Amino acid sequence: MTDDPYKVLGVAKNATQDEIKKAYRKLAKKLHPDLHPDDPGKQAEFQAVSTANDLLSDPEKRKRFDAGEIDASGQERPERRYYHQYAGQEAGRRYDPGAGMGDFEDVSDLFSDLFRHRQQGGGREYRQEFHARGNDVRYHLDVDFLEAARGTKRGVTMPDGKAIEITIPPGLKDGQTLRLRGKGAPGFGQGPAGDALVTIAVRPHPVFGRDGNDIELELPITFDEAVLGAKVEVPTISGAVSMTIPKGASSGHRLRLKGKGIKPGKGPAGDQFVRLRIVLPDKIDNEMVELATRWRDRAGFDPRKELRRKV
Amino acid sequence: MSFDERTVVMHVKRVNLRELRYWVRQGWVRPSSGVAGPVFDELDIARIRLLCDLKKDMSLPTDSLPVILSLIDRLHQTRRDLRALTEALEEQPEPVRRSVISKLRSAADRGGRVDDDPLG
Repeated sequence: MTDDPYKVLGVAKNATQDEIKKAYRKLAKKLHPDLHPDDPGKQAEFQAVSTANDLLSDPEKRKRFDAGEIDASGQERPERRYYHQYAGQEAGRRYDPGAGMGDFEDVSDLFSDLFRHRQQGGGREYRQEFHARGNDVRYHLDVDFLEAARGTKRGVTMPDGKAIEITIPPGLKDGQTLRLRGKGAPGFGQGPAGDALVTIAVRPHPVFGRDGNDIELELPITFDEAVLGAKVEVPTISGAVSMTIPKGASSGHRLRLKGKGIKPGKGPAGDQFVRLRIVLPDKIDNEMVELATRWRDRAGFDPRKELRRKV
Repeated sequence: MSFDERTVVMHVKRVNLRELRYWVRQGWVRPSSGVAGPVFDELDIARIRLLCDLKKDMSLPTDSLPVILSLIDRLHQTRRDLRALTEALEEQPEPVRRSVISKLRSAADRGGRVDDDPLG
């Protein structure tokens, strides 16, 4: 494919802005990727056409291109994700217009049998009589990290005036969707109501992190706790517990509090992992300096021996 | 990823707030409702960009948009259904697949589709 934006649009070098606009419009109508979802060639062509148009439709950029200041690809934007790339996935169902292949009833009953069950979830259902299931309504709800980790009940009033009571099961993940049966729009005729689909966004927590059902936490400890060992209080998602720091613990050392992670409705509870971090006070007093000097002169410990050997 | 109205307008420079709200009122874009207003996801954003292409780059008249959108939506629904059917077919034993394929071919032939150049 040629790089020359004039050739891509099929216009002369001295074409007017209006001619360029018209040429682009004609090609865009022909090549738009959403009209040819299965043809990557058309998408590439469209990309080239819109890059060319970006350049030539802007008199300023066109002048600079003609003057050789920028090249044809200099204006390329990050690759765009087209609608059909999303709509082809399951999530795209929410823009489905209706019964889909289910209304190929004249072809064969098999077809409607095949696809009918799939309409229960989303969209409307058209039957011979005028009874139809109500539409699904989609909500978005932000919850705190701890609410999602422990599970909770939340009553919320949405801008559309609907009050919804949501039970958040423990261990809910960010982006998960809860289906509240019959809480959507009312049905038509004797049709059942639609569902409310609530997508949950979990706000991050300042100290707790999460990996599946395990909770992660970084615990600052003092230098004497690291040397001598200690019993300290550690926050968990279900309150503080006491934990033993072993003698001679290093920064980065990972300790496990078994069963102190997320307790899902079914399945085993996760653990909490505590990563130690030795923290020195902002001001180092003379006593610490003396202690460190004496220890250094006597111990001869080299923590970087391994490191050097591997380099 | 989720976006509120203002973030959408920031991301997609070709649409303004008034237009976006109009599209939502018309049901062309269907965000979910959050406590603080509509919440858009990546699917919605891609659809907003598609609407910009149709309306601005191709200058299609506003009253033709619902027709085009419904055709596009139906196309995607049909493609997904077709893909589900293909996947189901792929799991069938070889003889079943073969017989379905040969049936499809003969249906295509009956439809008068010509694959070879008749003069060549």
